Amino acid sequence: MIYPFGLGLYYSFTSYWLQYPNRFRFVWFDNYVDLMEEPLFARALEFTLGFTLVAVVVQVGLGLAVALLLHGRLPGRSAIRALMLLPLMMPPVITALMWKIMMASTNAGILNYMLSFLGVDPVNWFGSTEGAVASILIIDTWGNLPFVALILLGGLQALPTEPYEAARVDGAGPAAILRYVTLPLLSPFLVLVVLFRTMDSLRIFDVIYATTMGGPNDATTNLHIMAYQYSFQWYQMGKGMAQAIVLLLLVVIVSYLLMRLWNRASESTS
Amino acid sequence: MVSQALSYPRTVQAVSWQRTVRNVAIVVAAVMLLVWTVFPFVWILLTSLKSSGDMLSVPPKFVFTPTIDNYAALVIGEQRGQYSSTRPDFPLFFLNSMIISIGAVALSVVAGIPAAYALARFTFPLKNGLAFVLMSFRFVPFIAFVIPLYILYQRIGLYNTHGGLILAYQLITLPFTIWMLRSFFMEIPLEIQEAAKIDGCSWFGVLARVILPLSLPGIAVTVILGFMFCWNAFNYPLMLAGRQTFPVTIGAIQFISYEQVLWGQMAAATIVAALPQLLLSLMVQKYIVRGLTMGAVK
Repeated sequence: MIYPFGLGLYYSFTSYWLQYPNRFRFVWFDNYVDLMEEPLFARALEFTLGFTLVAVVVQVGLGLAVALLLHGRLPGRSAIRALMLLPLMMPPVITALMWKIMMASTNAGILNYMLSFLGVDPVNWFGSTEGAVASILIIDTWGNLPFVALILLGGLQALPTEPYEAARVDGAGPAAILRYVTLPLLSPFLVLVVLFRTMDSLRIFDVIYATTMGGPNDATTNLHIMAYQYSFQWYQMGKGMAQAIVLLLLVVIVSYLLMRLWNRASESTS
Repeated sequence: MVSQALSYPRTVQAVSWQRTVRNVAIVVAAVMLLVWTVFPFVWILLTSLKSSGDMLSVPPKFVFTPTIDNYAALVIGEQRGQYSSTRPDFPLFFLNSMIISIGAVALSVVAGIPAAYALARFTFPLKNGLAFVLMSFRFVPFIAFVIPLYILYQRIGLYNTHGGLILAYQLITLPFTIWMLRSFFMEIPLEIQEAAKIDGCSWFGVLARVILPLSLPGIAVTVILGFMFCWNAFNYPLMLAGRQTFPVTIGAIQFISYEQVLWGQMAAATIVAALPQLLLSLMVQKYIVRGLTMGAVK
């Protein structure tokens, strides 16, 4: 595992271009400097970070709502819980293809047909900038909402009951209990799902590859897709590898910060 | 007194009215959640049973005469207007997925058991660092590995081979296997291990005669989940496999070509590719969350 990675790190300092092997030279940081000057890199970085932020907020917010819903008394709760596992374990590519079928841009696409009852004009899902970003967010959320919801539900069910009784005795309403009792007690689980979802959103690839391929007009190109395009469509292995290293660094830094937060959250509650 | 007697039933009514609104809201939310989760599966199943005429009708049809043409085309490979050399060979892809996933999991379990045992029960220098590095593989962007692997595989002839893919899949399964098995091993009480040692077992005897039999259910769960993660893999085979070794995840995407998208066959392919996952996830449903967090949440 270390060897291929070390090799990759070395390639990121070279001008390796698969079709022109004799141009192979050691170029130090040229690939990285080129990246900084590349306008697409700034846009891809922006999309990577922006998408991650929105996806994590949406998925954790909705996931918390779903967890609270399933935590209450509800007929058929265990059946819903079991069904929610199904999207979770689907191959992300297959999930993306399923939604691609449903998101056909005419009225023959079931999603646009359903939206037409709400008075929404047919959405050009993968052809327009907003549509493409929205569709990737929807597909990613469908596959990963159960992950957030089930972990938070597990957390809710493991919470002690005494603080709730105390709060009720003090006359706290449901909103106050949620804000001052549930959320603080749940914080290790919240940080954990934020950690996992952030890491996975930063490097999302399968869904984008299967639906928009980074288009239209590079609107959904993140760092991962960009590194793929450089290395496997234009065979500029050196440049692609430099982008991969930048993405890796980003993931490592963010995961380090979130793991510290997680340690602190689990210490303070246990 | 009089006013109190009059107002009493009204408050009860107001409270029960509030409760009804609340219950209705909860049920509506639950139904929406159910539809959101299940509808895509239902719709794709319906789509896979449609003839090509029904597929493109506006408005979309919910009632139609079902046909198994799409599945037949998937198995036999008949496609109008496409040369046989370009059509996806789906049964082969399914077989490839099986070979690679089973091979990768088998290798990971064999290599992972001693490592997991060491991490669970022994202390050695850099232990926590090693555990952290293994954990971080869960988060690594695949492209950082696949570029050097691609160059390497081209050179040493592992490109487009099952063996090469099984090795590459270790990046997915090995850290996962070690972490999961470690968490299962740690659940076995230390006293049992000590008792076996007093009875004259070596560390290997303890592992083979005590730890492994006791953690058999955990190993089974790890194997099933590892198989599912391999089945889901898309990135590594996308770059490291060729037409002879493509798994189903790559196979399904091939129904999109430059000329046309074969919606019906693609729907049938997604159903077939998803089927093992759906069945297996019902089998190990209690452990899926644990698996996805590499044992961090039980």
